[in-house]
Amino acid sequence: MSEAVAQQAEEQEPEVDLSIADKVIDKYIDLPGNLMPVLQAVQDEYGYVPRKVAEHVAERLNVYPSQIYGVLTFYAQFHLKPRGRFIIRVCVGTACHVSGAPRIVETFFDKLHIGHAETTPDLRYTFEKVACLGACGMAPLAMVNDDTFGKMTVQKVDEIIAEYNQRPMK
Amino acid sequence: MVNLTIDDKQVTAPKSATIYEAAKINGIKIPILCHDKKLKPFGACRMCLVEVEQMKGRQIPACTTPVTDGMIIRTSTPDIIKARKMVLELLLLNHPIDCPVCDKGGDCDLQNLTYEYQVNANRFSDEKFHHEIDYSNPLIERDMNRCVLCGKCARICDEIVSFGALTFISRGIETKIGCEFEGSLNCEFCGSCVSVCPVGSLLARPFKFKARFWALTNQKSVCSYCGTGCNLTLGVKDNKVLTTVYDENQGFHNGQLCCRGRFGYQFINSDKRLTTPLVRKGGALMEASWDEALELVATRLRGAGASAAALATPRLTNEELLLFKKLMEAAGSANYDHSAGYAHAALTKGFARSFGATASPSTILDIQKSDLLLVIKTDSYETHPVIGFEINMAVKNKGAKLNILSDKRGKLSKLPDAKTFVHTPGSEIAVINSLAKAILDEKLAAGSAVSIPGYADLEKALAGFTPDAVAVQSGLSAAAIKQLASDYAKAEKALIIFPVGNAYPGHNADMASAVANLALLTGKLGTEGSGVLCMAEKNNSQGAVDMGFYATSGLQAGQIMDGCASGAIKTLFLAGENPVVSYPNRAVVTTALDKVEFLVVSDLFMTETAAMADVVLPACSFAEKEGTFTSVDRRVQHIKPAIRKVGQSRTDFEIFSTLIAKLGGQAPAAPAAVFGEIAASAPGYAGMSYAALGETGAFAPVDITPAFVVPKTVAVEPAAGKLALVIGSVLYHNGTLSQFGEGPMYVCPEGYVELSRGDAAKLNVAENDLLNVTSAAGSTKLKARISSRMPEGVLFSPYHFGAAEINRVWSGAPVTWVTVTK
Repeated sequence: MSEAVAQQAEEQEPEVDLSIADKVIDKYIDLPGNLMPVLQAVQDEYGYVPRKVAEHVAERLNVYPSQIYGVLTFYAQFHLKPRGRFIIRVCVGTACHVSGAPRIVETFFDKLHIGHAETTPDLRYTFEKVACLGACGMAPLAMVNDDTFGKMTVQKVDEIIAEYNQRPMK
Repeated sequence: MVNLTIDDKQVTAPKSATIYEAAKINGIKIPILCHDKKLKPFGACRMCLVEVEQMKGRQIPACTTPVTDGMIIRTSTPDIIKARKMVLELLLLNHPIDCPVCDKGGDCDLQNLTYEYQVNANRFSDEKFHHEIDYSNPLIERDMNRCVLCGKCARICDEIVSFGALTFISRGIETKIGCEFEGSLNCEFCGSCVSVCPVGSLLARPFKFKARFWALTNQKSVCSYCGTGCNLTLGVKDNKVLTTVYDENQGFHNGQLCCRGRFGYQFINSDKRLTTPLVRKGGALMEASWDEALELVATRLRGAGASAAALATPRLTNEELLLFKKLMEAAGSANYDHSAGYAHAALTKGFARSFGATASPSTILDIQKSDLLLVIKTDSYETHPVIGFEINMAVKNKGAKLNILSDKRGKLSKLPDAKTFVHTPGSEIAVINSLAKAILDEKLAAGSAVSIPGYADLEKALAGFTPDAVAVQSGLSAAAIKQLASDYAKAEKALIIFPVGNAYPGHNADMASAVANLALLTGKLGTEGSGVLCMAEKNNSQGAVDMGFYATSGLQAGQIMDGCASGAIKTLFLAGENPVVSYPNRAVVTTALDKVEFLVVSDLFMTETAAMADVVLPACSFAEKEGTFTSVDRRVQHIKPAIRKVGQSRTDFEIFSTLIAKLGGQAPAAPAAVFGEIAASAPGYAGMSYAALGETGAFAPVDITPAFVVPKTVAVEPAAGKLALVIGSVLYHNGTLSQFGEGPMYVCPEGYVELSRGDAAKLNVAENDLLNVTSAAGSTKLKARISSRMPEGVLFSPYHFGAAEINRVWSGAPVTWVTVTK
C-alpha cells in the first residue's frame, strides 16, 4: 500500500470510539506481554483493528506503532480493514478442489460482486478462500461464521445468500 | 578466555564471544550481512555459516553461536562456499541488478560478496520485487526492492535509537521492512539505519549522485555541534565535504551519530559562507582586504583597556580560545566571556564552589556502568542525542534504572520502566534540595559526608526543604520526592546527568551545587558509574571553561551587553557568537549592539549579529583547521583540516595571531605550539601533545576538593491566567549554526511553540495555528505544535531560530510567564 493509498484508507476510516479500546487496555495494562491479548480484544470489539486504535494502543502500551503494525501484518488473524458481519469461507484444499470448490468460489464472487478477502460495501459479507477447514469428508465445504455447509453446490450458494440476507446486522 | 581452532589455527577468544567475533579478533574474515558490532546477534542472513567439528560438521551461523573450549571450526570448506554461493544466488533472485546507478556501488556488502564468491550466473529465476520507492523525505531514500532483510535498520532504530520507526511487515515471501501502515519514514532522521544498511536500500539523499564511494577522501574529525565529542569521518571530494562516512569502530559511540552529526555538515560548503572581509562604509558593509579590516580592528584594540570586550563561541578550538584571551590581554582588557555568563555558570561557578574544579567528575562512559541514572530535564536526550543513545543502552541492555526529573516529558520517558517526575517549571533546585533533605532524614547519607566542609550549614539550610513543603511548590507528591531520594541513595552506583546551555537559564551555579550536594551526601562520587555529568552545550564548551575563557576579573557576558548599552564598552569583538538570536532579551541585546561604537564579528555566515557589525571577518569552519576540542567529559580530541579554506576565509587562530602581532605582541606560530602552552598550564592537560592524543583523544583528569554549598532557590510564583514558557534545545538543532545545515533544516525548519492537548483545547488552538506569545519583555508569533508530552500550563519553544525571535519573549529568567492568543 503506497502512502497515498494509506492516506485514502485513513480518510475512509469511520470515526472510532477510543473509549472502547481504553476499556480493553485498562484490563490488560499491567499484564506482561499484553500486546497480543489487547489487539485480539480490540479486534473483537471493533471487528477489525482501525488505524487510530492501533496508534492509541501503541501510545498507551508504550510500544512503537511500527511494531504493532508488524504484529498485525504477521498474524493472519488480524484485519486492518472493516470486515463483514458474516464471514464466508470456502475451502479450496485438495479434497474440496477436486470436488468443485473453484466453481463455488466463482459463484460467490458473481453473486456478491466481491473477490477474495474483500467485503461488500454494506459490510454484510466478507469472502475468503481458505486452504483447509479440516472437514474433507464434507467436501466441498463452506462456512459462514461458525455455521458449516457441506457438500456445497452452486444452488446452495443462492440459498446461503438468501438466508444470510435476512439475518440482522447486529 | 577459551582456546579453539579456526581454520587449523590455534586461537583464543573471550568466553562471551561468538564464533564470528572470535574469528574477527583473530584476523579471520567470515562474510556477513546482518551484523554490526553495536547490535545484538540476529542470525538473519545465513552468510556466516561455518562448520563445527563437534557439531558433526553441520553448518551453523557463526554470528549467533557462542564459542566453547576446544571448538574446531572451519570457515571456508567447499561445502560452506557452495552454501554461501547459494545464499547469494537466492538474494540476487529478487535483488535488482542496478549497481551502475545505485549510490551504494563500491560500498555494498552484497555487491562485494557477489564479486568475492564469483556468483556470475544464477540457477534460479523469479520476478523482481516491485515495491514503491519512498522518495518522500529529503534525507533518507528507501528502496525496499534492494533489501536483503538483515533487519539492521529496524534493530538499530529499536536497540540504540529507541525510536522504532522501522519494522518487519507481513511474513514469508511478502516480508519487507517498512513503517507503520506502510507510511513514509517519519522519525528523528539520525540516519543510523542508513549507516548500517549493507546494500542500497537506505540511502542518504543529500549524498546521492554526488560521488562514487571510492572517489572520496576520508578525513577523521570531531563533530562540531554539541559537547558529546562524537567522532566523524568526513567524506571529501573536490575540496567539498560531501558526506559523513560510517565507521563502526570510531569513538566511544561506535560511529553512532544524530541527525545533525550525520546530516548537518552542509554548512561547511554552504554557498552562504562569507568569503571576504567586509568593512562598513557609508552605512553599508563593503568588501575589503584582510589588511584593511584587521588594521581597523587593531587600531580600535590598541590600548583600548577596559573599553574593549570579547565574546567567543565555544565552537572555537582550545588553541584559538587561548589566543583570543591573549589578544584581549594585549589590548589591556579582562572583559571576555563565552556564553558562560549566561549559560555555563553551573560549570564555571557551581562546580568550582562544590568540587573545586570546573569540570564534571564523571564521563559519558560511566552511563553504561551505572545502576541508576537521575536525568534532570529530559532534554539531555535532545541536547546531546548520542548521550541519549548511551542512556537507552544503559537502560535496555544493562538494566540501569532511569529516573527523570523534568518540567515536561520526553523520549527518555518512554524507555522501559523509566519513571518521570514532572515538576512545575523553575522548582528544580527546590526539589533537589528536598531530595538532600529526605536523604538526611531517612539517614541514607554516607558516613563520610559529615567531614566535608559546609555540612552543618547545609543541614541547617535544608530544614525548610522537607518533602512536604517542596511538594506544594513543585507539584510533585511528598511520596514521590522521598522515592526519588531513596532510589538515588540506595543505588550502589548512581549518576546524575543534566544539560547546561544558553537555553537552560535555571541550570545555574546553584543548580550545580544542589546536584553536587546529593552526590557528596551519599558518597556517590569518584567511583566508576557514579557521579555527576554536566552536559555543556557546544562542542568545545568545556574547552572554553578549561582555557579560562570566562569572566574572572572582568565583565561577564550579560555585563558586557550592559556595558555596550551604557557606553562603557566601546569596542566589542564577537568570534562566532550570535547573541542577537541566542542570548535572552533580544531588545536589550540589539540596543546594546547598536550603541557600541565598534563591533567586530568573525563568523562563517552573515548572521543577524554580523549584519550589525562594523567589520566582518570570514572565519573557517572546523573542517578547515587544526586544533583540539574538549568534550563534556573532558575528552581532549585533535582535529585536522579536511579541506582547504573556503574563499579568503581565515581560521580564528590566524585572525587572532595577526592581531596580536599588530598590537606589538608575539603569538605562537602554530596551533601545536599553543597546545604546548595549554599542556603546560591548564589543569589536567599536563603531558598532552597532539601525537599522544592520537585518534581516541585523552581525558583530562579532574581533581575534586569537595565542599557543601547551600544553593539558593528562587521562588517561582505562578502568575494568574498565564502560562509558563520554558525554552530549550530541539533535537535537530544546536545553537544557531545548525540553521545552515540543510539536514536539520529539512526536518525542523522553523521555531514553534509546543503546548499540551488540554491547553490547546482551552485556547481553541489547532496544530500550526499562528499564536501571539507575549511576556513582559516582548512578543512574537509562533506556530502551535500540540503534543501529549507537555503538562498543562507549560509551553515549550526551541531557541535556535533567528526568525522565530523567541528571545523577544524570553527574558533570561528560569521561567517566563506568557499569555497566548490566536
